[in-house]
Parts: sequence; C-alpha cells; structure tokens
Amino acid sequence: MRYVASLVNADKLAGRTRKYKVIFSPQKFHACEMVLEEEGVYGDVSCDEWAFSLLPLDVDLLSMELPEFFRDYFLEGDQRWINTVAQALHLLSTLYGPFPNCYGIGRCTKMSYELWRKLEEEEDGETKGRRPEIGHVFLLDRDVDFVTALCSQVVYEGLVDDTFRIKCGSVDFGPEVTSSDRSLKVLLNAEDKVFNEIRNEHFSNVFGFLSQKARNLQAQYDRRRGMDIKQMKNFVSQELKGLKQEHRLLSVHIGACESIMKKKTKQDFQELIKTEHALLEGFSIRESTSYIEEHIDRQVSPLESLRLMCLLSITENGLIPKDYRSLKTQYLQSYGPEHLLTFSNLRRAGLLTEQAPGDTLTAVESKVSKLVTDKAAGKITDAFSSLAKRSNFRAISKKLNLIPRVDGEYDLKVPRDMAYVFSGAYVPLSCRLIEQVLERRSWQGLDEVVRLLNCSELAFTDMTKEDKASSESLRLILVVFLGGCTFSEISALRFLGREKGYRFIFLTTAVTNSARLMEAMSEVKA
Amino acid sequence: MDCYTANWNPLGDSAFYRKYELYSMDWDLKEELRDCLVAAAPYGGPIALLRNPWRKEKAASVRPVLEIYSASGLPLASLLWKSGPVVSLGWSAEEELLCVQEDGVVLVYGLHGDFRRHFSMGNEVLQNRVLDARIFHTEFGSGVAILTGAHRFTLSANVGDLKLRRMPEVPGLQSAPSCWTTLCQDRAAHILLAVGPDLYLLDHAACSAVTPPGLAPGVSSFLQMAVSFTYRHLALFTDTGYIWMGTASLKEKLCEFNCNIRAPPKQMVWCSRPRSKERAVVVAWERRLMVVGDAPESIQFVLDEDSYLVPELDGVRIFSCSTHEFLHEVPVASEEIFKIASMAPGALLLEAQKEYEKESQKADEYLREIQELGQLTQAVQQCIEAAGHEHRPDMQKSLLRAASFGKCFLDRFPPDSFVRMCQDLRVLNAIRDYHIGIPLTYSQYKQLTIQVLLDRLVLRRLYPLAIQICEYLRLPEVQGVSRILAHWACYKVQQKDVSDEDVARAINQKLGDAPGVSYSDIAARAYGCGRTELAIKLLEYEPRSGEQVPLLLKMKRSKLALSKAIESGDTDLVFTVLLHLKNELNRGDFFMTLRNQPMALSLYRQFCKHQELETLKDLYNQDDNHQELGSFHIRASYAAEERIEGRVAALQTAADAFYKAKNEFAAKATEDQMRLLRLQRRLEDELGGHFVDLSLHDTVTTLVLGGHSKRAEQLARDFRIPDKRLWWLKLTALADLEDWEELEKFSKSKKSPIGYLPFVEICMKQHNKYEAKKYASRVGPEQKVKALLLVGDVAQAADVAIEHRNEAELTLVLSHCTGTADAATADKIQRARAQAQKK
Repeated sequence: MRYVASLVNADKLAGRTRKYKVIFSPQKFHACEMVLEEEGVYGDVSCDEWAFSLLPLDVDLLSMELPEFFRDYFLEGDQRWINTVAQALHLLSTLYGPFPNCYGIGRCTKMSYELWRKLEEEEDGETKGRRPEIGHVFLLDRDVDFVTALCSQVVYEGLVDDTFRIKCGSVDFGPEVTSSDRSLKVLLNAEDKVFNEIRNEHFSNVFGFLSQKARNLQAQYDRRRGMDIKQMKNFVSQELKGLKQEHRLLSVHIGACESIMKKKTKQDFQELIKTEHALLEGFSIRESTSYIEEHIDRQVSPLESLRLMCLLSITENGLIPKDYRSLKTQYLQSYGPEHLLTFSNLRRAGLLTEQAPGDTLTAVESKVSKLVTDKAAGKITDAFSSLAKRSNFRAISKKLNLIPRVDGEYDLKVPRDMAYVFSGAYVPLSCRLIEQVLERRSWQGLDEVVRLLNCSELAFTDMTKEDKASSESLRLILVVFLGGCTFSEISALRFLGREKGYRFIFLTTAVTNSARLMEAMSEVKA
Repeated sequence: MDCYTANWNPLGDSAFYRKYELYSMDWDLKEELRDCLVAAAPYGGPIALLRNPWRKEKAASVRPVLEIYSASGLPLASLLWKSGPVVSLGWSAEEELLCVQEDGVVLVYGLHGDFRRHFSMGNEVLQNRVLDARIFHTEFGSGVAILTGAHRFTLSANVGDLKLRRMPEVPGLQSAPSCWTTLCQDRAAHILLAVGPDLYLLDHAACSAVTPPGLAPGVSSFLQMAVSFTYRHLALFTDTGYIWMGTASLKEKLCEFNCNIRAPPKQMVWCSRPRSKERAVVVAWERRLMVVGDAPESIQFVLDEDSYLVPELDGVRIFSCSTHEFLHEVPVASEEIFKIASMAPGALLLEAQKEYEKESQKADEYLREIQELGQLTQAVQQCIEAAGHEHRPDMQKSLLRAASFGKCFLDRFPPDSFVRMCQDLRVLNAIRDYHIGIPLTYSQYKQLTIQVLLDRLVLRRLYPLAIQICEYLRLPEVQGVSRILAHWACYKVQQKDVSDEDVARAINQKLGDAPGVSYSDIAARAYGCGRTELAIKLLEYEPRSGEQVPLLLKMKRSKLALSKAIESGDTDLVFTVLLHLKNELNRGDFFMTLRNQPMALSLYRQFCKHQELETLKDLYNQDDNHQELGSFHIRASYAAEERIEGRVAALQTAADAFYKAKNEFAAKATEDQMRLLRLQRRLEDELGGHFVDLSLHDTVTTLVLGGHSKRAEQLARDFRIPDKRLWWLKLTALADLEDWEELEKFSKSKKSPIGYLPFVEICMKQHNKYEAKKYASRVGPEQKVKALLLVGDVAQAADVAIEHRNEAELTLVLSHCTGTADAATADKIQRARAQAQKK
C-alpha cells in the first residue's frame, strides 16, 4: 500500500495526473484504506474489490492461490484468511447444495468451519432444499501433517513441481528442457493428454511409459506410408493435428524427465531418499543426523538442509538437545546469522523443536489440555505461544500403519496402496486420515490418533440426519487443505479414489511443496 | 337499477360524471374553511388547516393553530403555530407538510405534527417577502415555487435535494400577476403567469410571451388558471367568463366554454381520468360548482357550504365542513354495464346473474345471448373492471359475483385477474375505512403501488393494518412484514417514557427472528434518540456480530466492539476497530486491551510489522517477550542499520534480550555474530575484498580461496569450526582453485575426518581423474568399490567386490558394466557369484 501511495505521490510531485485504480483481492482491508488516507492519496485513487476466491487449476483441483496463508496463519497466527476460506466454502455450497457430511481436523479448520456455518445461517433459505451434489467434505490443517509435505516427491507431477515449480497450473520449462534457447510455458492439467497419463505415476515408470508412447506415435505416423490419396487426405485433416500436438507434448515431457534425471543424479538423490526413508521408519537415526550435518557442511542447499532437519525433528519428536544445538550452529555458520530467526520461526510452528528433557508424553498432554481449557477461558495471551507441539509421529505411524510392511520388492508399476507416491516407503498421513475417516464415516475409533495429533478437541464430524443425498453424490468428496497440499497427496488420493470408487475434488489454499514450506519459514535478507 | 345511475350527470353525448360521498366529516371545525389556509395531499392524503391566518389582520396576540386531519376528518395532530406568518401550505410526495413562511423559510412537518427540518428559499426573499407560493409535484419529488414581493419567481424542483433556481425577470412587470402556475415539461419546471391580457412563460433561461391558440377575443385579464394532474392540460378562466382548455404546451386548443359568470372562481381544477378522451374542468365559486367540458351544456351543482377542491389522478375530491365527496368521470366499464338499457355483455351478465339468484330461467336466456355473440370473456372482464371502480362494497360484490358466475361457463379463463381484483378491493376497502381514512380509487392505488401504500400506512403508524395487508397479499417477508416491524421498532424506541428494558424486550418479542430485520438499524435509531443503553441492548439481539460493530464504535463502546468484531471472525472488521481504538485510547490502555484479545493482538502485530516497527518493539516490551524482542533486534541489525557499529549495537541488544529470555544458544550465536562482524570489518580493511555479511563458512572459504590459509585456520579455531566442516570446506575450496598440490599436502596433513571418498568425488567433479585415482587408493575398504567406480575403474572395483564377497557391491558394479569393454568384468562377477552360491 505504501508502495502504491509512493507511486502516486511521486507522480504528483512530477506534476503528472493519472487515473489510479487499486484492485484489492480477495478482500479490501480497512487498514489499506487507512494507509492511503495517511499518505494523502485516498482521494486520488479509486478502489475496487475483486472477490476472487477460487481458481480452478484442473478438473479436480481448486486453488485459492493464497501462498501466504501458510506463513500468516501457522507462523504469525494471523486469522484474516479464515474469513476468505469460509467465503469460499460458502460459495461452493451455494453452487453445489449443502454438504451433508463434514469432517475436519485442526484448529484453523475448526474456526473456518464455524465461520462458514455462521455464514450459512445468515443467508439461509437459499441452499435449503437443494439436493446436495457433494457428499462429503473433509477439512484438514496443514500442521496436522507436516511430514508428508516435507518429503521429497517422486511422482511425476510432484517432481516437476519440486524441480521447476509449477505456478498456477503452468510451468516454465527452461532451455535445458526444450533443448532450444527459448523457455517454454506449459499448462499442466488434464487437457494435456500425455501429462494426464503420467502425472500420478512414480517417476521410475515415467520413462518407460514415455518411450512406449513415442513408439506408438511413430507407428501412427508410419501408417501414412501405405495410404492412398483419399486416406492421406483424411489423415491430414483429422489425425495429423492431434498427432502433432501429442508429439509436441511428448517431446516436452521427455525433455523434462531428462532434466530431472540429470539434476537428481547429480545431487545424490538416492542417498537423500534413503535418508528420508530411514527417518520415516525411524532407524539409523545417528547416520541420518550425520548425513544432515554433512549436508549442511557442504552447503548443498539451504532449503534442503532445513527440510531434512525439520523432518528429523518431527519424526523424532524433536531433536535431542545436543543435536539441536550442533545442527543449528552448523547451519548458522553455513548460511549466516539471520537464520536464527528462521529457527525461531520453525520452533514456533512446531517444525523444528528440541526434545524437552524428561518431558514424558503425558506431561506434554496435560500441557496441551491446559492450553485448550485456558483458551476457552480466554485467558491465554497468545494462542500461538511457543508451546512445543509434539508430533508423536512414531506412534501415529504405528497406529495408522503408515510404513507398509515390505515383503520383497515394492512393485511401483502396479501400486498396491497410497505408499507408492513415496516409493512404497510411506503412506501420506493426511491421506490415510481421510481414508480412515471416510471408511468409518466419523472419527470414531480414531480417538487415540486424534489425541496423538494434539487435536483432541479439534476434530469434528457433522452429519445431517436426513439422507437425501443420492448415492452418486456420496461418491464425491471435497477435500480442503488449509495451508496448502502437495501434488503427492493429490496423486495418492486420486489413487485411493480409483481403488475405492470415490471421486475427490481438492480445494487448497495453495499448492505447496517442501521448498515452499521452508521458504515461508525462512528469514531472508531484504 | 334505475336509481343507481341517479347521480350520473351527462356532459355532452359521451360522458357521464358522478359525485358520491366518501365520508361525512365529523371534524369539529371552529372556523369556516375560507378563513383557513388549506392543504390536502393528493392520493387520499391528509388535510392540513392553519387557522387564523395573518391576512385577516386580527390581533397578533392570538396564536394560530395548525391542525392536521386524515381525509376522513380524524384529527392527527394539532399544534400552536409559533413561527412567523405563513403564506402557503402544501404536502410533499412523502406526505410531509411544507409551510412556506413570509420570510422565505420553509418549515417541514411530519404527518403527526413533528417538526422535521427547515430550509430557506434564498436571502433575497428576506427583504421582499413572499407574496405567494405553490407546492407542486414532479417526477423527481416535490417542488416549491414562490413569488416574491419584487415580483420575481424562485423555485426548487425537489425539496429533498434543494437547488434554488431564480427565474428570469418578466419585463415591465409592475404588479403581481393575476394568476400563475407551475408547469412541468421535458423534466423541467416552468412558470406560466398572466398579467392583464398577456401570458408569459418563464423557464430558467428566458421569459417569453405566449398566446393560446384560438383564444376568444376581448380578454382583458386572466382570473384563474389550472393545470391537470399530469401537467398535460391547461385551462384558463378569463374575466369574460370564458374558459379556454388546451394542452399545457399552449400549442393546441381542445375546447372552450363560456359560462357567463364574471366573478372570479374560487378554485378551478381539472377532472379527467387517465386514458380517457374526455376533458373537463371543475370550477368552484362560493356556492356553485360547475363541470365544463367539450359540450354546450355544463353540469352544475349547488354548494351548501364552503368547499375545497383537491385534484386527483382520476377525479376531484371535494370536502367541506360536513362532507367529503368524490367527483369523477364514470369509467367506461361502469358506464357500459350500468347505462340505462345497456346491451353491453357485462350488463347482460350482471342481469343473468341476478336472474339466476332469483332462480329464473331468464338467466339462461341472457347467458345464451352473450354466448351467441361470443362475448362472455369480455363480459367477465368488464364486470371485474367495473367492480374495481365501485366505491360501495355491495356493488363490488354483486359485480364480482356476476364475474365469477360468468367464469363458470368459460373453459379457459385465467383466474389471476379475478383473484387479484378481489385482493385489491379488500385492501382498498380496508384503507378506505373511516378510521384509516385513505380514500384511494382503484386507479390511484395502481399508480401509487402497494409498496408506497404500505409506507404511508407505516407513516400513519398503522402497523397492524400494514402487517395484515402484507400477510394477506403474501408479500415476501423481507419486503413486507419485516420491514414494517422494523419501522415499528424504530418508532417504539422513540417512546421516551418507557424503560430501556421494556422497550428492548417488547421489540424482541415482536420481532423475534423475523428475517431481514436489522436490529442494528433499530439500535442506530435508538442511539439517534440518545438512548445508548437501549441501543446496546438491542444490538445484543443482532445475530450478525459484524453489523453490531460500526454502531458500537459510534457509541464509543470500542472494547465491546472489539470483542464483537472478533466474534464475527471478520478480520477486516477487527482491524477497523483496532485502528479506532488506537486513536481513542492511550498507548498503555490500548496495549492492555490487546493483551486480553489474542487474535486482535496477533493482527495488530502483523500490522505493526508492516507499518510501525517501533510500536512492535513496544508491544514486545510490554509483554516481556524477550525472545521476540531479540528476534526484532536481529532483524534490525541487518535490515535497518547500515553502519557496522549500529549493527553491532543492535546485536548486543538482541543478545541481552536473548539472555533475558533464557535462550542462551541464541545469545551465544548473536555474540558470535558480533565478533564475526567486527572481524570481517577488519579483514576488509586489511585484505580488501568483500567480507561483511558473509556467513562464517563463506568467510573462511573466501579466505582460503584468497590464499590466506593461516588466517583461515585462525578463524576456524576462533569460532570452533568442527574439523569435518573445515575439511569439507578446504577440500571444495582447493579443488575450486585447482590447487592440486596444496590439496595433496592438505590431505596428508593428518588423517581425514571425513574419509577420502569425498576427495575422489570432488576431484571427479573437476574432471581430474588423475588426482582422483591418487585418493581412491586411500579410501577405506568399505567405500573402496564406490571410489573405484567413481574413477571409472570397473575391473578393479569388481576385484575388490569379489574379494569382499558382498552381494550388494557386486550388483552395484554389475550395473556399471556397460558396453563390450566391461563384458569380461561382468563375466567375472557372474562367475564369482555362482561360486559364492555354490558354497
């Protein structure tokens, strides 16, 4: 806002008169107007509000494109976006009828949900009596499951996101992919036939698939050899365009694959994955720790190092004090002291914590429950005070069977369960929760897990008794990720949908990945 | 039947006029109407009387009384007139009474005599006095036109949006015009005035003389002029007793009439109905009423007492001391049905129905007659329409009964027109009731619309009737019942004698959760009346907390507003309140308020981070949040400060804060950074180059790259860089320099803490196979295979692997066997494997 004001004032000084229009999206904040007023330009600009809430990125993916949501809420405790989320839910429910079954977990989820309910009540009458088209809604806070977001992604779409960064459903492939000197902007969604087939595949399958595809394509091209004029005409007018298109897409994706391969092999990707898996499964912690240390010492990549540290902390319920200190020291030495703030941020968000000595599980729990009751009394000064949030990942993993038993080689070509998105080593926690809850139609029987997630009072089920939802709509599930979701999670749920005959629709504040999470937490020099 | 048309008076061949009584007035008038200033609002509106006007030069000691009556003569208000002399009274379209005073001030009163506001018609008027004034209605609202003592006109076309327009002067005007009126044409107001034999038209630019076409000669002055309700027609009465009727544009003459009465009429008004071809003017003298039109004869009535004419859309209301009558042209439908010996289908249908009730077979005959002509539909429509124009319920009923009777013989007659007419008539009869006193005709009602009618009922505080009408017509609640309830509540809060508690409870009981009722609006009204407590109580009922906030702020209940805003979950609202609070309270109080509202606090912090960093610091200070304070200073150390000294100072503060927060680690790290900064500064001074702001690692690397190994070592010792890191660091740096000699020396300086595999890797990265091989030999046995593979020595790798008898290693080597060159090696491995398996 100050920036806009300074622009206007500069123009004023220069004696230029222009028309100014400020468009606020998704919401106009009173504070912004105040700033304009303070700067004395309020009268010079006209303001507009663009209540932009949902951007359909794909046939089953809606994004609110609020990447700042994660930092604002989970770090700063800023609740201003909750309203926006509630509005979005409201919009969906006016479009698709009331939601008969709602499940959710997490504080933010709960607040959004309650706000949405309130909105519904205020504007009742319209949606009532409409047949619900979406049978289930599942809301989930990102902080319920950091682990999944922190893992390296190995399904194609996730990898492309990790490597090239997908922005609003499109990606810029640099010269190394297009093998020309121009970079290419490619829209990645279900329209892209080639991409649609490989997006959810484990990366190791993608090459094989692409080469098969290339052979098929060649065969189709070859068909024209034996054609007479008429057939040729037909071919050119009808098929050639499609083939050309496919050809173009194919070459793009092959280029992308090669480039990914190159990058990944260079950075000892195998080692990295191995460490990650070790962390997830909870063995050879020492080696992993020293691997991370080496990683930092070699200044491989600040974000990657940070990511590994967080992963270690969450899976291990916080670092043991010695490691905590030494890793931090190493990191500061490598990347500069401003990251002291990064660490403080991570600690606040519960991503990187220190094991409190002698703190047993029950002690933490009592602390949590006290926090909850205090909050109810409205006495706590800061709901997001630096309470060491325990992740209890190990216990949850056992309870939900997140690490599949490996008997023999995991066949990535024919995935058995959702673990395939992480090479068969780990079932995404978020997706497992959704699966379990949908199966039970409530949180019943998951009390222990919910308790371990520190969400004892933050999980809810809301079912309307009347069962007028058609069976078809009950197959349709809206999954809402507050704080972003990763492509791996989307892939995993798509897989679950195929297996169980559900159709998932995703609504997320933004598509995220480990690097984006870490960036959100990092302090960078301005 | 015969007597029904007894009050019908024919005018010319084609039209009948009838006069019937609306009410017998039982107002208790102490003085004659002629002694009063009278104003009656159109559309059956109220009547205002100001007794004892000043023009009678009576003793000034008697204060006049302003009285307002309903159209049925029920008193609505009465108040002593305390202001200056009044020239004219008039009602605005919103049924507000406009009283034009001699000094040009216009006082506006409500229907119940409540003073609303006042405005002035300009300063010029102050000296010259107002001679005459008219209140007129345009499509924009109600206007006021005045004639000043200087014979100038000033008008405002809309009193709601007051814009005074001074009209141009009439040349040579010495005395007041004999008569004048306002005209509305092309969305602008004009004034037509008569001076002697001349007519002038004033618009805002010019004054032009006009002559009506076909005016009879010998006119020496115009005594009266009248414009029709719709401003379409104009009538002029001359001193020869001649009446000219034409269009208001003065372009066309419609007809003329000579009544041979030279006395100036008291009033002259148009009496016509919309979409009728008949034109007629009603002229009133003291004791005589005459309807003249395009016919050689006129209709004459005798007036027994003082009467006053009120032009309406479709007729004229005439009220006197004892009665209130309506004079209008008989509508076509009624005329067709009731005209003596009418054979119109409607008339036959009515007859048929009557016979049917008498159980006479004539009914069938009549019906057959209509049906043979194929006019039954028309007959039903006629009956329905005629019913609308009847004033007496029994006539309405008999016509409707006839219509419904006729409907039975029709297959497909859409019922809605019949149903709607029944509904409308019920509403009309209800409001025409003596106690309500709004004598609307059907055409007026349609013109006015039900919404406006409801507003008028609300204005008269007839809430129950309004609600009943809403419910009866099944109007949507938001438009109908809720709106009226809200109005009622707004009225209720103005009753000062009832306690806050009772009012709030009464309102809530009545309103309940009616949709569309905004409690905050009612509360705003209560606050407007100075009842803050009541307003707060009412706000409690407002379900949308967001709506409560702005009013609470206005009432200076900011803290309550804050908690409501937080409740609403609308962060923008919270912000609004916060900024408001910030200006209202002093800092300490403000912060204390924030402390109790975590959400507000975090929002405010966010705001400060972007806008007011200093405030943020104070916030942390207040909370003894040393951790955050430390972070704040750290940020300041690289974001805000430029000079090294300043940065070190900021870091020092940060370190102190961290100590206070018992965060020793952060404190130590900060202190280290201080040391590093100073050192870097020194390095820059001594060695040149760029050091400041590099991390420790980068600083050491830079030193190594610059060939300052000693210093690098020193730095590493000072900052306790672990050996592993140092080795990695040096290894990379030296390889980057391609200083292989130094690297070798370094590798031999002592046993490598990171092993020798990294050496191989790094060398290979620089594509120095030769150097890499050197180190490969030194790699420990468990990593030997990897190292050998890295330098590309597949054969030797295979040997080692076989020696180790390690299955995994064998596989790894095998996977590296590509091409024919390695075929032998691959073979060897396969053999070794086979052997191993045998054993």
